[in-house]
This record gives sequence, C-alpha cells and structure tokens, in this order.
Amino acid sequence: MIENKKLSDLEDGNNSNSYHHMLVIIEVVDGVVLPVNYEMLGEARRLMDFFNKQYNSNEKVIAVVLGQNIKDLCNELINYGADVVVYADDPNLRYMVNQTSTKVISSIAMDKDIISKISPDFVNHYKKPRYMFFAADSIGRHLSATVLAELDSGLASDVNKLEISDLEIKHQHKTKGNALKYGKVLEMYRPDFSGFLWTTILCLDNKNPEIRRDFHPQACSIIPGAFAPLEPDPKRKGQLIEFTPKFDKKDLKIKVLNRSIDKDKIDFDSFKIVISFGKGIKEFPEDNIKLIETLSKLTGAEIGISLPLSKKIFKLDEKINSKYMIPGRVIGTSGRKITPKIYIAIGISGAIQHIEGMKEAEFVIAINTDENAPIINECDIFIKGKMEDVLPVLIEEIKRIISPLEVQAKRK
Amino acid sequence: MSLNVAVIVKLEPDFSEGNISYNADGTLNRAETKSKLGAHSSVACLAAFYAKVNYGANISVATMGPPMSEIALSEAQSICDADSLHLYTDRIFASADTLATAEVLKKGIQKMKENENENNNGIDIIFSGHRASDGETGQTGPQTAWKLGYPFFGNVIDYHLNLKDRVVTLKRLVVLNGMDNIIEEIESPLPVFIALDPSYKPSFTTLSSRLKATIFEKNAEKKVANFKSYLKMFDHNSLELDPKEVGLSGSPTIVYKVERIPKGKMNRKAEIIDGRDRNQIKNIAEKILILNGQYGRS
Amino acid sequence: MEDFDVIIIGGGSAGLAALKHISALGKQAILIESGKEIGSKNVSGGILYSKNKEYGQVHNVEDIYGQKFLEEEPYERRITKYILNATSKDKVCSIDLTSIHDFQSNFGCSVLLNKLNTWFAKEAQEEAQKQGGGIVTGVHVKNIKWNNENTPIELDGGKQNSSTYDNSLIVETDELEEFRSRAIIAADGVNSEIASLLRAREKFSPDQLYQGVKVVIKLPEEIIEKRFEIGPDEGAAHLFSGDISLNQVGGGFLYTNRDSISIGGVYHLSSLLENPVEPDQLVNSLINNPLVKDLIQDEVPIKNIEKNLSKEEQTKKSFTISKLIRTWNELREIYYSPKNREKTIANGKFKSIEEIKDKINTTRRRLVEEFNTKFVTNYVELEYSAKVVPDGKRCMMNKPYYKNVLFVGDAAGRGIFLGPRIEGLNVGMDDAVRAAKTIIKYIKNNLTDPNIGEIYSQSIHESPYTRDMKKIDKDYLKVLLKAVKKIPLEDLGAKNNFLIRCMSNDFLRNFAVSTINKVGFYKFLSFVESPKIYIDIPILLAEKLGRKINTSTKFDIPELSERISKLKYYEDNNSHIIVTKPQIEFMKKMTVLCPTKCYSIEDQNVVIQHEGCIECGTCSKETSWKHPRGEKGIFFKYG
Repeated sequence: MIENKKLSDLEDGNNSNSYHHMLVIIEVVDGVVLPVNYEMLGEARRLMDFFNKQYNSNEKVIAVVLGQNIKDLCNELINYGADVVVYADDPNLRYMVNQTSTKVISSIAMDKDIISKISPDFVNHYKKPRYMFFAADSIGRHLSATVLAELDSGLASDVNKLEISDLEIKHQHKTKGNALKYGKVLEMYRPDFSGFLWTTILCLDNKNPEIRRDFHPQACSIIPGAFAPLEPDPKRKGQLIEFTPKFDKKDLKIKVLNRSIDKDKIDFDSFKIVISFGKGIKEFPEDNIKLIETLSKLTGAEIGISLPLSKKIFKLDEKINSKYMIPGRVIGTSGRKITPKIYIAIGISGAIQHIEGMKEAEFVIAINTDENAPIINECDIFIKGKMEDVLPVLIEEIKRIISPLEVQAKRK
Repeated sequence: MSLNVAVIVKLEPDFSEGNISYNADGTLNRAETKSKLGAHSSVACLAAFYAKVNYGANISVATMGPPMSEIALSEAQSICDADSLHLYTDRIFASADTLATAEVLKKGIQKMKENENENNNGIDIIFSGHRASDGETGQTGPQTAWKLGYPFFGNVIDYHLNLKDRVVTLKRLVVLNGMDNIIEEIESPLPVFIALDPSYKPSFTTLSSRLKATIFEKNAEKKVANFKSYLKMFDHNSLELDPKEVGLSGSPTIVYKVERIPKGKMNRKAEIIDGRDRNQIKNIAEKILILNGQYGRS
Repeated sequence: MEDFDVIIIGGGSAGLAALKHISALGKQAILIESGKEIGSKNVSGGILYSKNKEYGQVHNVEDIYGQKFLEEEPYERRITKYILNATSKDKVCSIDLTSIHDFQSNFGCSVLLNKLNTWFAKEAQEEAQKQGGGIVTGVHVKNIKWNNENTPIELDGGKQNSSTYDNSLIVETDELEEFRSRAIIAADGVNSEIASLLRAREKFSPDQLYQGVKVVIKLPEEIIEKRFEIGPDEGAAHLFSGDISLNQVGGGFLYTNRDSISIGGVYHLSSLLENPVEPDQLVNSLINNPLVKDLIQDEVPIKNIEKNLSKEEQTKKSFTISKLIRTWNELREIYYSPKNREKTIANGKFKSIEEIKDKINTTRRRLVEEFNTKFVTNYVELEYSAKVVPDGKRCMMNKPYYKNVLFVGDAAGRGIFLGPRIEGLNVGMDDAVRAAKTIIKYIKNNLTDPNIGEIYSQSIHESPYTRDMKKIDKDYLKVLLKAVKKIPLEDLGAKNNFLIRCMSNDFLRNFAVSTINKVGFYKFLSFVESPKIYIDIPILLAEKLGRKINTSTKFDIPELSERISKLKYYEDNNSHIIVTKPQIEFMKKMTVLCPTKCYSIEDQNVVIQHEGCIECGTCSKETSWKHPRGEKGIFFKYG
C-alpha cells in the first residue's frame, strides 16, 4: 500500500516495485522488421545491462511484436538483444492500425500472466512497465502517444540520446519544492525545434502529496539512425511468449482497404551516406554517373542530384534519365532536406538552394574543380580536382580497404 | 444528415525573418516575436473547410493557450468559415505537457457535444495538424483522440465521407525508415480523429464545388470581421476540470535541462585537398569508411 | 458532366470586366484563373486610360465598375504630368508631352496590377455570386473540345438551324473534372494557350511583340510628391529614349505610384533579337541615368554583421536587425503618408506626428549604435517583372474568335502603341464588354447560334481602339507636333527640320496621313519605329539641348540572381516549358533575352537552366510553352 509508506521510502523510488522491465515496441511491415527496431533493441540492451549491474537486479528487455505470421521473426529479435519476445499473431493485426495496436500493446504491458512467465517474483506488485521504447516514425509516433494515454503516463518524442541515472529533483509541482531523490530515471535527450539546443525530458511521478500520482512507464520514441544495433548473436537465448489478443467488435470495423507504394520519394533518411552530383558531370556525364554508381554501391549510399539536373539538361540514355534525373532525387529547397552522416557533393557548386538541403549533414566532402565555388564554405573536406580524375582513385582506395575486410568476414 | 466537426489549432511564434526576435542571450524573445496560426493548424482548417463545402459540416475550432490565442482562432475562422470558436484559457493550464493538454481538449470537445445545436449527436470528426512547429511533437492529437475514445488516423492526405452510412474513407501517407513510402487507404465508421499530413490539400474536383467554396470563403471573411461574437472562453471551472489533472500538476514530463548541442554543425571550415594527391585521397577513403561504420571504430 | 453557360478563361483586367458585365446583366458566368490568386500573374507598365467617348463608343473602367472605382481608388495616381526625356550620358532634354497623355482621354492613372485586379475581382465576384457564378482560381485549362466534333461548323456566317445545332464545349483542366460550357471568353493574355490549342491564330512573332521589363521601387508617399513636384492627387510619368535604350528600338518609362515607382523599358523584340541585350541591363541603364537617380534615391539601411561570430549567432543577430529595419520601414510608411498618419493616431498607437518621428529616429539610432548598421543613399527594389506586349497594329486578330470562343485583349493581340503612349488594359476591358454583350444577346437562344463569333467580331471592328490600331490619327500627330514645337529644332539638321516643318502644316499633314492610312499604315512602320527616331534623334536632342545633371550618387544595383531570388514561386515539378529546337539561333538568343536567364547553352544545345521563369513568353514562339498548372509558377505581389 503506497499510501501507508513513509515519504523516505518514496524518495528511494520504492514504488518501482510496481514497475519493471523495458518494453520495446517492434514494427513489422509487410513481414519485415524495420531497421530502427534493431537500433532500439541495441540501445535497450545497453541501458538494461547497465541498469541490472548498477541496481543489482534482473530486469528484461521485452520486445513486443504484433502482426500476422510473425512468429519466425521472434528469434531474430533475441539475436539483436531482446531477453523476451511477446508476440500477438492474428489476422486482425496484419497492419498496424493504431486503434487495435494500442489496445493490444497496452494489454500486454499490464498483463500479469506474461509477467508471471518472465519474472514470477514481480508478479504480485506489478502494474506497468518501467520503460518503453517506440520508433519515431509514422507508426510509432502516434502509437507511443495513444499507448501512453492509455497507460496514463508521459513520453518524450524524437529522442536521440538516453541515460539512466539517480537524480535529485526540486520542482514546484513534482516535489512541492523539496529536493527529493528519484531513482532509475530515464534521461531522454531530444533536439529542440531550433536545432541549436538539446532538451532533456524526464517523466517523473508526482511525489508532492497534494497531487500524488504515479507516471510510469517512462517512454520515448526514438529517431531512426540515432543508435547503433548490436551485432546479431545467433547463440543468444531468450524466451518467446505468445499473447492471444481480444478485440472490440467496433474496432474491427476499421479496415485497411488498400496499400500502395508511393514511388515518387527516394528514401534518403535510411541512408547514412548520400552522394549527390551536379552540373559538373557535364564533360562525360554517362561515364561520371557510372563512377558515382560504383562509389555508391561500395559505400551503400543513396544518390541525389542538384536541381538543374532534374530538368534533364543532358542528352542521356532514357534509363539513366528516368532513374536519376527526377525531382524526387533533388536535394535542396525545392527538393529534399537530408541529414546523412556523410554527404559527398560531386560537381556541385553549392547554390544557396542546394545548401539548404544538405547543410545539416554531419560530414561533408566536396569534389570540385573550382575553389571559388560556394560549396567550399559548407564542406569539411574540399577535394580540388576533376571528378574524372578523383573518383577512380577514391574508388580504388576504398576497394583496397574493403576487400580484405570482406575476405575476413567470409572466413568467419 | 448533420455533420459536426471540430478543429484543434495552436498559436505559434512566426519564425520568419523580420518577425522573429531573440533575446541578448540568444533565446527566443516570445514577447517581441509575432505569433500566428501554426502552419500545420491551417492545414487542419482546410480539411474542415472541405467538410463544410462538401458535406455541410458545422465547424467548431478550439485552442488551448493564453488569451492572445484568439488570434489563432480568428485566422482559423477565416480559413474554414467556422461556426464557433472555443478558447480554453486558464493560468493553471500553462506549461502543460501533451497528456495534460489532451485532458483539457478532451473536456472541451465533450462540452461541444453538450453545447452545440440541439439535433446534435456529438462531434463526428476532429481535425488537427501534423504537429506544432515550436516544440510540441504531434502527440497531443492522438492523446486527445484516445481520451475521447475516437480512433486516431495520422498523416492523412485525403478523405471522403459517406454520410448515409457515417463512414469515412481516408488515405494516409506512411513514412517508414528503410522502406518505400506507403499510401494506405482505410475505412472507418465515424467518429474519428484525423491528423492531417502537411501535404494535405482539399480535393475539390468539380467546378461547382470550387464555386461553392468561394461562397463559403466570402462568408468566412464576413464572420471574421466580428469573430469575437463567435468566441466562447472556458477555464478549468467551466470545463469541470480537476486542477490536479491539468497544467504542470497533470503533466508526467518535465523539461529537466536545456543545453547546447555540442559541435557547431553550422560552422564548417573546409580542409582543401589536392585531387592529384593519392595519399590524401586514401585518407579520405578511410575516413568515409570509418564514418560509415564499414571499417574500424567510429 | 456539369454544365455552365459562359466560362471566362483568365483573370486579368479583361476577363474580370467580362465577368462583371455578364453578371451585371443578370447571367451566370464563371471565371477560371490559373494563378493561386487573382492578380498574381499579371504585369503591366502601366497606365490605365479612360477614353473620351466623343471619339466613339467605348466601355471605360468607370463605366464597368461605376463611381466606386473613382471613390475607392484601387489605382495608384492619376497622371497629371507626362514628360519625355531624351538622354545622352549625363545630359537630359525634357519635353512636356502632357497633351499627348490627355489626347482623347478622360484620365490615365498609374496602376499596380495585383492590387487593381484584386479590387476588380472583389467587385466582379460579388456581382457574379448573385447570379450563381464566380471566380475559381488555381485551375489551369489544358484543352477545349467540342461536344460533338462531328457537327459541321461553318465559320464566317454559315447558316445552320440553331435548334439542332450543338456547339457546346468541353473544358479540360489539370485540376478539375471536365465540364461543359456554351461559350467561352478567352482572356488568357498575350501568350494565349487557348489560341494555340485551337489554332485560332499563330503564336505572335518577335516583330509583333515588345518585351517589357520592370522593377517596382519603394519610395515613401510624400517623398514622391516632393521629388516629382506633384500634389497628393497628382502623378507623374516620365518616358525615356536615347542612350538609355542601349541601341534598341523602344524606350524607358518611370511612373509614380502611391508609394512606389514603376520603372522599366519596353523594347521591340525584333530589335532585341537582332542585337541581343540582357533585359535587366536595359532596366539598369535607366536606373543609372542621373535624372532617374535623383528621382528614386532614398535612405537605405545596410545590415552589417560581424563575421567573427558563429553562424548561429550571425543568424540571430541578422534576424534581430531585420526586425528593427522592418519597424523603421513601417514607421516611415506611416510618417510619410497622410492617410496612414491619421489612422495610426486615431487608433491611439501614437499621439502625434512628432511621436512617430521620434520613434523613427530612435529606431534608426539603435540600428546605427547597437548594430553598426549604416545608412546610405541608394534605392530599394520591391519586385522585378516582365511581360511581352502585343503591338495591335501588327498583330491584332482580324477575326478574334474561333467558333464560339471569343478572344479579348492581349489574347486577341490588341494593344495600342500611340507614339510613346501604350494602351492595353483599357482595350482589353472594352473588348471584354463587347464579348459579354454579344454573349448576353445569344444566351436566350441557348448560345447555339453559330454566328456568335462573327457578331462579336463586328462589334470589335466598331471599336475606336481598333481604329487606333489601324490608322494614324491626324489630330494626334498635330498634338504631338505642337508639343515638340516648343523646343528649338534648328539644331537637329536640315532634313529633320524640313520634315517637321512640313508636318506642322495642316494641309500637308492631313494629306500625308490620309495617304499613309490608305496605302496601309503598317508599311511605314520600319520608317517610324526606326533606330533613327528612337535612338539617334533623342541622343542628338539631349546633346544639343539637354541640361547636364550632376550626381555623385552611386547605386548598388542588385544582380539578376538577387532579383530572381526575391520573387515568389510555387514550384511545379512538371516543367511548363519544353525546348523543342535546342539548336536554332532564336533559342541561342534566348540565353541573353530571357529576363530571368532561364536558358543556357550546354554542348551547343540550349537547355533550361532553372525554373525561375516569370512567364513573360519571350521564348514562347519557338518553344513548347504552356502556363504552369494551377497555383504553380510565379506569384507577383505587385505586378
């Protein structure tokens, strides 16, 4: 009975008796686990390893998967760091419809049967998960909000850094102005709207007796690409638990009628590296594009272009035109704004419109003959030279480094 | 058959040059910076306007914020020809996070059910924008929907109603990392909560519907001149809200600290390399592979 | 399919006049405009004239919109001073041509088309909505076809039984479902796509067109009045010829607006093709003229941001300065405008004029002292724009219709070049009313009469404007000569002198004019519109008779790229221009003549460089040129 406990107990976060484990919500789309889920599992694993060591406890990373015919994917999630996979396999979960998914996930989060299978010790006091992760994408952003509304707690969105720590908090409302200790707090960092600042969000129980209220789980949605996945380990062992969902009839009236791929968009966001080219290819456009293709294959890059190229200013093979010289590939104000780890601008002078689209890239390399091109002010490395000369050398050097690595990998 | 829609909007600072102002310490000067109806909110208003023109919807626009948020309501009215404007304003609502905001909006929308015209069976559709541009991250909409028990649909790019069966069909744009974008077509019985994708545009497909729209646009113009007569104000008492559930008290989350993102991304100083120097190119090849996680440790 | 009686395509001054008139007569009409808003694609020099009715039946702006037009003043200034300036370097010879301006006109006022057409639209829309019609924007008509293509249609008065005759049209747009209409008024401008689609006429050739390029310059209201020595109800127009034309046939203009200046040039496209000059250079040569410099200069703040700050800090500082500069500008706009002053003091924002002045000074001081802002003598451009202007005498459609599609204004190639005076807006509006009247007459018969086009054509031929396009008016010449007479012309050489003296003789002049008109006025055009008259004589005039103007002012004229970057576009991924003949001379010249440099040469092929197109149509003759889809493309704020 929490009400009967002394304040000093509360200060230690003893009510965390009721909150255990880290739930990671997995999104399966058309039979595929999204890459961001592996990244979330990696970060969850790191955090919970730290947690268990720090607090000498045994709390789990629990992956939650909903879908149809998804059982086969569960082992993979264990390989990537989950201790437990709870799955709900049902034709009604074929698509992630917010209404049904929210209810199933919330039920799983509060299900004592599941907890009794994972950690019987916790089952008496268990109320809700301690932490929860969602992906910050079109599914997870909304799902995180509705699930947390159902679980009556808070979340931070678009998080790109996480820590668990014990903090002393002095807050007018939360602690009635007293300095109180909060244990096992998830510090959630998110870039704020200006892009200049990092805001740390905490989700804290109200310990102020006048507004006493628990806020667990502490949840967040995680930006794709922010964390690295673990190296999958096929030897990892884990527990698979099936959950049989119940549905409200009313909710099943929501039907997905049709799904189609929107071909217009190039998915730059899921590439760490983007290589763009501009009018500088003009001397040998087809040959240069081939070089750029080779470089992109070697590095797993997506290819972008500058605006003028989308107007098909060169006479090129129609295949090349329809593949590359399209508005969907344009980087810049009239195209896409991207934030890759590496951006390579080849033969792009760097018109202000283009800069707008790539300036948030982490590391920028430009290859250009003209040292006065404005791109020089927006890159970290400026390679002065003709792409016809530079690219073959760069490709050769990359191959030289990669091939022994590949041989090693094969031997393993 | 009547159709009642609500639109949730937000007043936001105008971040454009010439309007935005900063304090000496580099933080946003909110007092000096002009505010306006958020861009995403206007998209929500367009969707409501579509319902008005095509389905004769009765529109209520609501916002939570300081008294000056009435600007947002009047701007919203000029877009969607709203029939009533609701402002939820109370000192204790201030600094609410999304859950506490959703609590206020829930009560507000429940009140609309009670207050609007007699033959009213509640709000059929609630529209909101994708997100706010000043920090809120698109959670208020879904949380309000959930608290009201309305199915939520986000990133909606098009919708049509079948008023007879009270069913909506909508298209949503699903953007997932590592996948092609998906356009999903969904059917759902009313009521629903719809958050519009920023790319939404009302799809008036006939000349007569466009003509009709111009008449409503003109009506809106007239109404806005006198928008205060459409405005109703609510505080926590009139919304019958428990002060514990709103504002800071009702917010699970707090902003613990704000710090500069290390590394001045915007300040680049290029290292210039001679393209003929093979050694240098080799270093760059290494650098690319390391950053890309293909080689060594990053 | 939805059915409508009358569809008007194009929301310029002409289309709107048609809508207003049809609606006022109690019939439904719908106007379709491709721009995002009415007025956003319209550009004019421009002066809107009202023609004196003594010289023939015309429908003036005040007839169409009533007294309200004169009361609400959607125009800029009534032009009361009309001066021709012949220039050569720092010398200017000014000739008062106010009598030319007044010739057969009730008034002429400077206009900015976005504002004017927005006002027209408000009036026309109100009237149209009463009849169930209205204005629909953001819709681009891409095709017109006839409901029953097999029904034989005889042009030029073919007689058919109207009860069985179905000539209704089907309109296809990029945005909406197809709809049917019984008649169409095509008011889609000089680059009329409807005319091309229906092959109602050839695309206009360079010989038939002038290219106009303009910048709108900011200058506070009372400063304008002081500079141009005009009263609050007056306006000045300056015309320029001589060396400012950089050897092109045509001239420059400068019109005072309420609180801005329109300045630019209008040059014969043939002349430009012969000897290509960048259009922005033609504007610049005018801005650089010492007389112009004196007229348009103002105090201009220059942002100065320390470079040693981080980029983030620089951005923030720059934003703060922008805000202050904006405040300073807004205050000046209030201070120098009697109306704004009154309003601001009335609503209690300021107590007195002095207080406004004080606030201007403190803002200025803050900018200088806290932010190191410099104030220099310069000028401020608001908008760069261009359009091509049809020279009616060379290109007006003899039969401005195709079946039941009636062409009006620029779309029908109807514009008047009366010496320095150019008229287009009023012509288009008059045409529109004539088209409207014709249609109203036939609406009773379900608009099925195949003669509708011919009836309209007859009405057009009765228009005094058509006469102005066909013939030289002997009285006009007399007025012109009288104006010129005031200057001592002896110095211009015996030959010129002789000619002028002959023409000054009533008998000789009347004889000459009637002979020319009989033979065909257009045959003498190469003589009249020659480099000699447009360039050599003015230069001679300036040098011999001009006054020297000393100015030390140095302007910082924006680069073309800056001008383009200030414009507002709604990007369209589908290009509205396709280069079909990348190797012809014409296209190569377009790399120079396109006012926004949309073209460049890559490997001897002309390619589209970027889509900064402002839809002037200079290149339209030899490209596959369409208007952008609805809401897309350029958006002029002033026009």
